[in-house]
Amino acid sequence: MSTSALARPPRTARQRETRRHLLIYAGIIPFVVIAVFPIYWMAITAFKQDPDLYRMDNIPFWFNMAPTLKHFQILFYQTNYGAWIINTMTISVWVALITLLTAVPAGYALARLRLPGAENTGIGIFMSYLVPPIILFLPLSRVVASLGLQDSWWALVVVYPTFTIPFCTWLMMGFFKTVPMEMEEAARVDGCGFLGAFVRVVLPVSVPGVLTAVIFAFTLSMQDFLYGLAFVAPGDQKPVPVGVPTELIRGDVYYWGSLMGAALLVGLPVAILYNFFLDRFIQGITGGVGK
Amino acid sequence: MTPGFPAGDPDTKSVRVAVSLPAVSRSGRWLRSQSARRLSFGYALLAPAALYVSLLVAVPFLFSLYLALSDASVGEQMASFIGLENFRAALEMDTFWIALRNSVMFFVMAAILKSILGTSLAFLLLQNFRGKKLVRALVVIPFTLPIAISVLGWKWMYDSQFSVFNWVLSRLGLIGAYGTDSWPVWLGDPHLALIACVIVNVWRTFPFSAIVLLAGFTSVPPEVLDAAKVDGCTFFQRFRHVVAPMIFPILMVGFLFDTVFTLSDLSVVYILTQGGPGNSTQVLPVLAYQIGIQAGNLGRGAAIALFLVPLLAPVLFIFLRNLKRREY
Repeated sequence: MSTSALARPPRTARQRETRRHLLIYAGIIPFVVIAVFPIYWMAITAFKQDPDLYRMDNIPFWFNMAPTLKHFQILFYQTNYGAWIINTMTISVWVALITLLTAVPAGYALARLRLPGAENTGIGIFMSYLVPPIILFLPLSRVVASLGLQDSWWALVVVYPTFTIPFCTWLMMGFFKTVPMEMEEAARVDGCGFLGAFVRVVLPVSVPGVLTAVIFAFTLSMQDFLYGLAFVAPGDQKPVPVGVPTELIRGDVYYWGSLMGAALLVGLPVAILYNFFLDRFIQGITGGVGK
Repeated sequence: MTPGFPAGDPDTKSVRVAVSLPAVSRSGRWLRSQSARRLSFGYALLAPAALYVSLLVAVPFLFSLYLALSDASVGEQMASFIGLENFRAALEMDTFWIALRNSVMFFVMAAILKSILGTSLAFLLLQNFRGKKLVRALVVIPFTLPIAISVLGWKWMYDSQFSVFNWVLSRLGLIGAYGTDSWPVWLGDPHLALIACVIVNVWRTFPFSAIVLLAGFTSVPPEVLDAAKVDGCTFFQRFRHVVAPMIFPILMVGFLFDTVFTLSDLSVVYILTQGGPGNSTQVLPVLAYQIGIQAGNLGRGAAIALFLVPLLAPVLFIFLRNLKRREY
């Protein structure tokens, strides 16, 4: 192939292109390695036998003994891991539901119904996304206690919407601005009320936006650590991101194989899902009101 | 709304025209009621979200101010007003000053490192090359992985005895054997521990810096750059007068998000070191958690957390001003 490339006239252009690619790869590969190596290391740890993990005389980057599923068996049979996964899923469903029922209508109202001060209200709601949990968690612990929800994952169902609603309202506001106004007007001319136009005409074409909001309700909830740590003490009530670092370490003993397995089994799917929607996230926070 | 209302029925259309033409005098009231209905519908849709956010963000925020001025503790229902006592006590704690200094140092070190890494990555991703989509997807994984989970992976890589970094360093002959003085104990050495925590933060957020910067660059329309070129601008002038002002607002938003996240994050330090060894990695969020929840002193914990507000406020202010400007 190289000989034919050399024989043809555009060879210099092609060679230049190849050299450019090589330069770029040389620059970008370190970044890929930095980004991916910790995940690779976690993954391989999860499948290594214990004696293979704790020796320094072998090359540790590949299996020196047969891979094993023992760490995962321990996770599911001897720890609360199964319960944490169920907690995480249930919390996510509730949070997504609460977020949808509040953020979608609010985003619509702020974007389309020409409410006085809509822009400022939108900004105000979004600003609450920027109040960090570290400032809210102590007062919220009183709120959670007074609702009688301390020490159960229901506390997190109440608390997580404090960041998913602001973000998703903002997101939906931007989304509804892109739906053509004529559709509602046509529906209204045809005799639909405001509610009818919203439910029957706007919502059906907004399914992609609504789905995006669901994804964010889920992935943003998974990023929390503080609320779960502060509000949920019983071992079987925790969600995965909190349970794994706090419950799987017994005293000073670290079962690294199980720890890494537990972390990645849930973390990786979330990361991949979030990956697909990352551009929406960036747009959401940088796009401003106009988009 | 009536089911079976035929949308394109010529009869109904003619009826509507017939009614609306002579009804000019009543159109004012019709409009008013129409807009009244629109407003009440709008507020009804807005109410649940607005209520939720007010009750669980705005009110707790004010409540934290009250907590900070009281002697509230986890066990007791009653709390009494003690003025600025919590703030005074915090300022008299040595640990508080250590935590404040570490928080600021953590933030500055991390910001420098991630802006270098993020900018270089952004410039690389600005090029066109084969496999770019895959590279991008791989490179952003640190940011998308739930934080508590990735920190755990780093804790294993920083293991005192089986650290993979130490394996590489010792194979390269840069450090001695395990147990000797030159064997770095990443999380156990007061000089290394804070840097180890900073590295995790940088690893997690440099892809975010890069993506935000990339979003900024791609938001500059090529026509504008071409126009500037035609007008005889040099590369530097184009950057200074065209690109920089256009990407500045986006960069500010990215910076704001990162500042809020980095200064208020507890998970990295909490999972890696819990503030140790000997407070060498103590930061304000961890201290607020330890005093507020673990020691049960809600008031003092709230006061310590509120010390973050002055650190965050300038960035929030710039963000708000930015948003307002972008509307026009």
